[in-house]
Amino acid sequence: MLFNSYEFLFLFLPVTLGIYFFLNKKRLTVASNAWLLFASLAFYSWWNVKYLPLILLSILFNYTIGYLLAEHDSLKKQVVSKRGIFVFGLLGNIVFLSYFKYMDFFIGNMNTVFTIDFPLLQIVLPLGISFFTITQIAFLVDCYEGLVEDRKLLSYSLFVTFFPHLLAGPILHHKEMMPQFESVRNKVLNYKNLSHGFFLFFIGLFKKVIIADELSKTVKAGFDTSTSLNMVEAWTASLSYTFQLYFDFSGYSDMAIGVGLMFNILLPVNFNSPYKAVNIIDFWKRWHFSLTNFITTYLYSPIMRSFRKITFAKSMLATFIAMFIAGIWHGAGWTFILWGAFHGGALVVNHLWKKRKLPMSSPLGWLFTFGFVNASFVLFRAKNLADAGKVLKGMVGFNGILPATHPHFVLSDLGHGQFWKLLMAGVKGNDSTLWTLIAIMLFTLVCKNSIQLEQNFKPSWKTLAFAVVISFYTLINMNKVSEFLYFQF
Amino acid sequence: MDILAELTPIFREVFDDDAIVVTRQTTANDVDAWDSLSHMNMVMAVEVKFNIRFALGELPSLRNVGDLVDLTAKKLAKK
Repeated sequence: MLFNSYEFLFLFLPVTLGIYFFLNKKRLTVASNAWLLFASLAFYSWWNVKYLPLILLSILFNYTIGYLLAEHDSLKKQVVSKRGIFVFGLLGNIVFLSYFKYMDFFIGNMNTVFTIDFPLLQIVLPLGISFFTITQIAFLVDCYEGLVEDRKLLSYSLFVTFFPHLLAGPILHHKEMMPQFESVRNKVLNYKNLSHGFFLFFIGLFKKVIIADELSKTVKAGFDTSTSLNMVEAWTASLSYTFQLYFDFSGYSDMAIGVGLMFNILLPVNFNSPYKAVNIIDFWKRWHFSLTNFITTYLYSPIMRSFRKITFAKSMLATFIAMFIAGIWHGAGWTFILWGAFHGGALVVNHLWKKRKLPMSSPLGWLFTFGFVNASFVLFRAKNLADAGKVLKGMVGFNGILPATHPHFVLSDLGHGQFWKLLMAGVKGNDSTLWTLIAIMLFTLVCKNSIQLEQNFKPSWKTLAFAVVISFYTLINMNKVSEFLYFQF
Repeated sequence: MDILAELTPIFREVFDDDAIVVTRQTTANDVDAWDSLSHMNMVMAVEVKFNIRFALGELPSLRNVGDLVDLTAKKLAKK
């Protein structure tokens, strides 16, 4: 089910909330958690019930392995070593994810390398599989290291499936989540949280429906339809995607955090104005940082541990490897692998720069960072390397700056006219394409972000008016189904 | 054992700054070179010094020196 659908907003959400707090009021707290689990699974199965057994299997598998790991020390007879169980659990998850996510990519590449024609399996990626697999891997690691005390199956299942975060994060940690589902204080309807939750939810919905979906048309035309792009078109397409991705994904996170708040569940913040970052280290502290934290703790740290004696060069290698794996985690494709490698490389350069104490002014740092991030997102968006090459070539001017047959600009073209349509032909744009993009860029760079707005939120006539205007405007424009970009990962 | 006093030389070496004097309130914001990379170096230096081992899942919660001291004390007590 999508957050940006009427059935979610007017049916699923109010019914789920209502029954949840009704059960809590009757002091049926176990039933209320069971209800939330049931609702989350219904949310997951809304389109395709086929994947429900898969997520249930994954939960039961990891819960069982986690249980065995946690109880292992107290067993009298230890048939299999703790390490053996842990490795089995880890491999189980990796095989599970690899089969659904990377099998066809692997077969395709084998076919190319050995010029054979093994048929692709045409496996459809189950929604959210990348997310629920890595959060559960973290759970297994913590069970193995003896950190897990709370092991109730119900709160574990709820931590994995809780519908706001299930499909596209933020990436949760069991230690932060499971106690929240157990806490009695969270079981009472809290009007402050409810109002903050709705406020944040509607800001997120606005970001998705009004901003991201508007930009998606330009992006689609530029990346998928057009065969070659001149410099103006290529930059318009790539910048449009950079902002589409941010507003889509951070909008999703806002909505997830907002819905969580309505249930008195605090989900971790995921974005902090990433496009204001002045270096690439800073960028990863602001962009999807629930993932950054996960990578640092569960990828970077164990790689460093395996090196024993730490040197700067080794920590750079670990950084690169961690980002490389993060690239592959995003998707099965050479574009994602390159994307991860570029970010790994950029982080290494940034750390070297810092270590040498080389100078960098903030405006220049911002320009390099944003320019790099924008170029790297071309790889992230393009369906294949050829499409990425097309856009990148256009951006550096392979096909000229302007279309060959553009009319000369006259003053009456200002703001409208054929001039803009011809200028933006490759991205099917018109006079408003450029102005909208510039307005969104300025808005992103100057304004406070949604989390800052939510933290400063105080009920007043002014904020009510603001919330009513954006929610009403969003609702009447919510007439088409459009999926979130991060659902594909 | 005064864990806090033992930490200052470790911090000075890992973060390459002889002016550092750690208190329980010291956080990553107070030490220029304390970032996610050097955090791991520091943690591993503390592990060697006290002959203990932190779990991966414990690392993110070690964002101020007080937490580090408490967790180290807990680990030493268990030994």
